[in-house]
Amino acid sequence: MRIERLAIGAGKAVAIAAMLLWSLLPIGFIALSSVKPARDIFAVPPRIAFTPTLQHYTDLWLHWGSFFVGLCNSLIITAGATVLAVTASMLAGYAYSRHRSRAMSRSATFLVAVRLIPPIVITLPLFPIVNWLRLNDTHVILIILYATFFVSLGTLLMRGFIDQIPRELDEAACVDGAGPLVILWRIIVPLATQGMLAVAVFVIVFAWNEFLFAFIFISTRAKTAPLVISEMIGSFDGVDWGVLFAASTVQLLPVLIFVLCMQRYLVSGLTAGAVKG
Amino acid sequence: MTTGLTRRRALGASLATAGVLGGIGRARAASHTLNVLCHRVHQLCLTTGVAGDLTAAWRQQQDADIAWSTFDIDPLQDRLLREASLNQTDFGVGYLVNSRATANVAALLQPLDAYQAKAPVEAFDDIAAGLVAAMTIGGKLVAVPVRTATMALFYNEALLEQRGIKAPPETLEELVEQAKQLTFRTEQGTPVVGMVVAAELAAFPVNFARAFGGDFITPDLKLIPNREAMEKALTVMADLFKSGALPRSYATTSNDDQVTWMQQGRAAFTTLPFARYAQLNRQDQSKFPGRIKAIEFPMSAALKGKMPMASVVEFWAMCIPAHARDKELAWSFIQAMSSQAVTLGAARNGNGPVRLSTFADPGFAAAQPTASIEAKALKGAHVPLPAFPEAARAQAIFVEEVQLTVLGRKDVDAAIASIVERVKPLLPA
Amino acid sequence: MRGQVRRGGQQAATWLFIAPVHALLLGVIVIPACYVVWLSLTASTFGRAPVFVGIANYLQVLGDSYFWRALGNTIIVVLIVVHVELLAGLGMALLFASGLPCRRFLLLAVLAPYAVSEVSAVVMWRYLFDPDIGPITTTLQALGLPTLDWTFSPTDGLLMVALLSVWLNLPFTFIVLYAARLAIPGDLYEAALVDGTTPLQSFRHVTLPLLAPAILMAMLFRYIIAFRLFSEVWLLTAGGPARSTEVVAVYLYNEAFRYNAFGPAATTGWLMVSVSLLLATGYIWGLRREMANAH
Repeated sequence: MRIERLAIGAGKAVAIAAMLLWSLLPIGFIALSSVKPARDIFAVPPRIAFTPTLQHYTDLWLHWGSFFVGLCNSLIITAGATVLAVTASMLAGYAYSRHRSRAMSRSATFLVAVRLIPPIVITLPLFPIVNWLRLNDTHVILIILYATFFVSLGTLLMRGFIDQIPRELDEAACVDGAGPLVILWRIIVPLATQGMLAVAVFVIVFAWNEFLFAFIFISTRAKTAPLVISEMIGSFDGVDWGVLFAASTVQLLPVLIFVLCMQRYLVSGLTAGAVKG
Repeated sequence: MTTGLTRRRALGASLATAGVLGGIGRARAASHTLNVLCHRVHQLCLTTGVAGDLTAAWRQQQDADIAWSTFDIDPLQDRLLREASLNQTDFGVGYLVNSRATANVAALLQPLDAYQAKAPVEAFDDIAAGLVAAMTIGGKLVAVPVRTATMALFYNEALLEQRGIKAPPETLEELVEQAKQLTFRTEQGTPVVGMVVAAELAAFPVNFARAFGGDFITPDLKLIPNREAMEKALTVMADLFKSGALPRSYATTSNDDQVTWMQQGRAAFTTLPFARYAQLNRQDQSKFPGRIKAIEFPMSAALKGKMPMASVVEFWAMCIPAHARDKELAWSFIQAMSSQAVTLGAARNGNGPVRLSTFADPGFAAAQPTASIEAKALKGAHVPLPAFPEAARAQAIFVEEVQLTVLGRKDVDAAIASIVERVKPLLPA
Repeated sequence: MRGQVRRGGQQAATWLFIAPVHALLLGVIVIPACYVVWLSLTASTFGRAPVFVGIANYLQVLGDSYFWRALGNTIIVVLIVVHVELLAGLGMALLFASGLPCRRFLLLAVLAPYAVSEVSAVVMWRYLFDPDIGPITTTLQALGLPTLDWTFSPTDGLLMVALLSVWLNLPFTFIVLYAARLAIPGDLYEAALVDGTTPLQSFRHVTLPLLAPAILMAMLFRYIIAFRLFSEVWLLTAGGPARSTEVVAVYLYNEAFRYNAFGPAATTGWLMVSVSLLLATGYIWGLRREMANAH
């Protein structure tokens, strides 16, 4: 019995080590390289011992002011997209949870079916439309686009989550004469906060890192951080790898910290949402 | 009660977000701004370096701001053409690369002859005639050349010394010989390859073909005019790969890899534009600052002295989209940035000059060790392939077949036959 | 009478509630996608207005052996990615559910790759797996193990793409499965234990059936998204050597943004939609039935 428990413990330890190595090695490499002197980053054989330097971070601050503007833009766009996506998913999730009919289930199918269309396909026709609406190069267009690509998943998750909230609660409120909006606001929203946070995490991670749409619709005024990072990988004036790694690290940190803070809600929110699938 | 409070706070936060959004929209609505679409290096050459910010005088004189939008080469061209296809665009000036200057594209751009007649670019004749000709389509000037990138052969002097090689190669055969000798492991354990070239561009194999007096597509649209030369070129490249003198990762090597490999002493030779000299020798990035030198790409022994090397050159020109909002402002920018003084300044900041007078400037020649070599190479240089509607596809086919040959998956004859068969239908009749 | 009015009001509210979601999807995805159908029937490029050409583009793309190769490559990578993620994600979910020390930290570590942007991820992987000097390559060599010759061999190139894709997306699959596993009430396992079932039996008869909906959901979203695989390939091999690792999205990108042939690009887009529709039809059908029967 004891040996068996030891074996299980050892197996777990190996599994944990493998998971850590797999997940963190590449990230550790980037973070480490961001404090290596430029000429040691790609040194062969690799340099383990080196004098750490914050040079790349100072360079980033001095020469790439646009990167920090990009972070602010990313923040605004991420916040906007999250509010829009969570609100829309919440409303729809509530409707799908409480009202079932043939028409409703058809429209739910539509939600998923639409997501089959790859973003790259619609960029061609979207460009002139966005331009015609004068939304080119604005925060608003990215907020709308990012939110759109997450409302399908968001609605399904919220539906699963709201299914967990006893119907008796809304029925009681209904008897008291409350309308659907009041029920939603007073009863459902406070109880579904965890689910909303779970949806928010998905939108935030996506919006913070998205590249293709930003690349196509943004030129100067709403440049996001990934866009600035891609500019650092130019192809004929050469890459300043140290600065690039410093920027990648800075860009990664807020999301990591955010995921750390939210992980409890993420797991419990998804758990509640998952029961029904 | 608590939920009510958090809810109100959430509402406040979203209102604040909306406020910030509105604020940004308003704050950026400047009245007099020139939007420029270019590569970051174009911006840097005009704004930073030993010659300082060359746009300052123009900005003051016109009371205008410049908003730069920078992209990588392919995305930059795509964006420029997409903007130019719209009914109206905010972009006043865009940078067009030689290979995209076709009749279809010219239709989207503002002809510049009237502007040139009214407010001419200073000493226009000084700009290399071949470049201007390539930007004159259907008899109309559609863009003004501002940057050249002429291919040089770079070598790492220190590595050559380590292997007891006294002088850089004078013929292509010597280059191959030295590249093989320079495929070794240093005392520090760094594996060195003789040569590193990017596989994604036609320019590199074209270099080899021209060293044997051949070409891929000539300016008058002849496809592989000298088959024997192309055979020799591909055979040499395949042989280099087989002997390990081209890296095993040849097929996925990019321009940036070339720079990193040279800086780290992982490769002894490479072909890059002369303008890369400064970066390859940068103190803080390079393990061999000052030891990486440039020469003209060598001819084959049989042709050496009989004909000049036709170096590969790519160039950029400034254009104005036909539906740009403020074309007057755009032209005044082009006019100012093409002056002799600004061209010289930009060259000192690291730009490849388009004016013959720039190379003749004694100060410039003294500061740039490669200036005289570059001037000589530029004289006989022409683009890797001419511009025509399906040029991008033709280049992709060529590159694909070359890769197959170099990696040893297709023999030289079959590859050339296949290039001819697939590219021929793409050439304009 | 009052009941009817109320029901009508509720009906209206229901439609109003789902309106924002559908408005977004219609405006941003469906209407532009319809325009893509028209584009796929025309020939156009920059400086040339669209000219109707019927199904010529479809014949051209379907007759192009490179398209089929790209499709084959995509399907191979998608199959590898989705199934590896599912197995690894399931294993990890069960491991976490069985109780681990420093769970919060471990969870964060496992989720971390999800927060990394594709561009950064490719930079990391390219270096770690560099065929000459990459730390992982040299370590494997020192241990006498085979290395990934991804810059030379197409098979290894696709394998590398698949690995990178798994690295980026495993956290998503894992978290969905882990959450679903946590949702299974503990008393079910206790009951199973009382009945004297082995852990393997309780996995087969309790865990697996209850996880099935979550597994299907994770698979559907991963199938759909994996099918668009682009950045990993584009930034890692750009489809090379000699177009041998090209995937459908790269084929589309080249037609649209490199050759500016909008007709064939739009056609490729629609073929992409059709194939992923085929892949997902079964699932969606099941989902619909489940929704209709749920109440």
